[in-house]
Amino acid sequence: MEKTVEVSNVSKSFNGQTVVKDISFEIAPGEIFGLIGPNGAGKTTIIRMLLDIIRPDSGEIKILGSASPEETKDLIGYLPEERGLYRRLTVMDSLLYLGALKNYQSKKKVVELLERMEMLQHKDKKLSELSKGMQQKIQLIAAICHDPQFIILDEPFSGLDPVNMKLVKEMIVELGKEGKTILISTHMMDQVERMCSRIFMMHRGGGVLYGSVSEIKSRFGKNTVFLEFDGELENIAGMVKKINYSGNYAELILKDGIDSQEVLKTIVRDGRINRFEVSAPSLNEIFIQVVEGS
Amino acid sequence: MTKWITIAKHEFAYNVRRKEFLFVTFGLPLLMFALIGIPVLLGASSITPEDITIGYVDKTGTFEGNFISYAGEELAKNDLLEGKITHFFVIPEDYKTTGSIEIFSTKSRTQGSIEGEIKGFLLDNLLKGDNKELVERVKNPIKSEYFTLNEKGESGKDDLSGLLISIAFAFFFMLSIFTSSNFLLQGVVEEKENRVMEILLSSVSHRDLLTGKIFGLGAVGLAQVFIWQVMGIAILSSGPVALLLKGISISIPLLIFASGYFILGYLVFACIMAGVGAIATTSREGQQIAGIFTMIGAMPLIISQLILSKPDSIISMMFSYFPLTSPITMIMRISTGNVQYYEVVLSLIILTVSILVIIEMSVKIFRASLLMYGKKPTISELIKYVR
Repeated sequence: MEKTVEVSNVSKSFNGQTVVKDISFEIAPGEIFGLIGPNGAGKTTIIRMLLDIIRPDSGEIKILGSASPEETKDLIGYLPEERGLYRRLTVMDSLLYLGALKNYQSKKKVVELLERMEMLQHKDKKLSELSKGMQQKIQLIAAICHDPQFIILDEPFSGLDPVNMKLVKEMIVELGKEGKTILISTHMMDQVERMCSRIFMMHRGGGVLYGSVSEIKSRFGKNTVFLEFDGELENIAGMVKKINYSGNYAELILKDGIDSQEVLKTIVRDGRINRFEVSAPSLNEIFIQVVEGS
Repeated sequence: MTKWITIAKHEFAYNVRRKEFLFVTFGLPLLMFALIGIPVLLGASSITPEDITIGYVDKTGTFEGNFISYAGEELAKNDLLEGKITHFFVIPEDYKTTGSIEIFSTKSRTQGSIEGEIKGFLLDNLLKGDNKELVERVKNPIKSEYFTLNEKGESGKDDLSGLLISIAFAFFFMLSIFTSSNFLLQGVVEEKENRVMEILLSSVSHRDLLTGKIFGLGAVGLAQVFIWQVMGIAILSSGPVALLLKGISISIPLLIFASGYFILGYLVFACIMAGVGAIATTSREGQQIAGIFTMIGAMPLIISQLILSKPDSIISMMFSYFPLTSPITMIMRISTGNVQYYEVVLSLIILTVSILVIIEMSVKIFRASLLMYGKKPTISELIKYVR
């Protein structure tokens, strides 16, 4: 089957500084794909090249089987990292205009999406009158109101409260079920862990990990314990390589050859355990290990 | 492939609703009309013909006419104070040798038009017996028309209206460029600042975006000029202003050339502004760079004397063909008649070609430097982009 995205050996530099070096990856149709890495890794540059906003210095990009961006622009939906909408236009006018630029202007579809995003009552307001979270939702509608086949979402969750975050996540999953190909780019790696089937992880312009999330995780082994507890972790220092704390929640990376049951026995003496899960490390931890190891 | 039309329509609708546009388009002419027109109107209406009643006291006993005659100064003074007459004058016995008369009124200044009426009255009486035509001629001895001979000995009518049109053209041209190509600049910088640019470019090509903007704003500029024309005709054809401009004929070919040069000249500036917008990081910076180009555009006005008197000089030639200065220069020269057809054709061709070249350059600069937020490319980088 034809790939939705084929990126082959793409490099790009600005003013002599290499921002993206020799990147290759593919995205299959209907896949939810994660492009992850810390800020400044080169994710947005890759996205801009996918959209033909800027051109690569070398390498080739094919979208939906075509190397000509003019043929495919109408079929791509884009949510940029930095939100961009006309502040003085109304929600409805903005969305219809952006739809028209994709040769697909459908008032019915726009109204439907506004309703779905609980924004219908704001349709005649100017963008500048809306809160940041609301603008974010309008921006997402702008990215999908022309019924694109391939949707690029750059940091889709930034600035959203938990309620809207859930709304947007559900929307993405639904679009995935409809068979749309979705690329999510984010530095919040654990956000995409549960949504994406495959990921491409970047660091300083280069690719460091590429493949299905489960395959990558199994490659790093089940040497991690997720723990929710009350008390202090005092007596396990000899068993773990590292502890990532967040409140009374912790991710323990075990030393080679240490049995997780031994760890459990030790910590039961120190406090109350609410959750104990043996698992592969989080993408965050994997990223740190890869970067430190390289 | 019609996306640029969608963009042009949007730009037009978006910009004609701007407050700045409404102010410059409607407010500025009204303000100018108020500054120039109202004093004229007030001046004309403060003494309208029916308000003037002139009396006279004739001590020579030979003058008569349609003014009110008084036997003595006291009677005339009484009527003046009571408001029955607005002016009276005394013709002394030795008038025919001295020519002096005394004019009285309740207002401190006597209008020129009063003197004119009195003069007519005196002339009618002095030339009594001569035929009517001669009297008319004495009252109005010159109706002038000037002719200038060129080297070939052909005579061209010196027409004041031609010069007026070229000055009006230059004025409106500059005003339009200042406003609407500034909108273009502002629009590009604004879209860069609020990051709409990225969304737009994910939907359309750089070329479509730029072309749409230039033509959309071109339509804004034309709409502005059209509104000015309608307002101008309305103001000029009404009331006393029409009297001032009576006798000015507007030649149709000149108007056609003016429209052609206006549109092409406007497009040249618009393309440049789009390029400037792509480089500039803030509106203020954009306006500074754009100011250099508008200054060059206004140069022909500054040296208009030279262009009109020495159209063959090197500077006049350069100004006639250089795309930024040729619209105003050529209209000046056409309006005064000292221009060859091939020069017009050549300058129009140069304008058209430079529009295409500048669009191409602007697209390249646009593409290369558009999303480099907060960083202005150096001149050497610009040269690299354009290649």
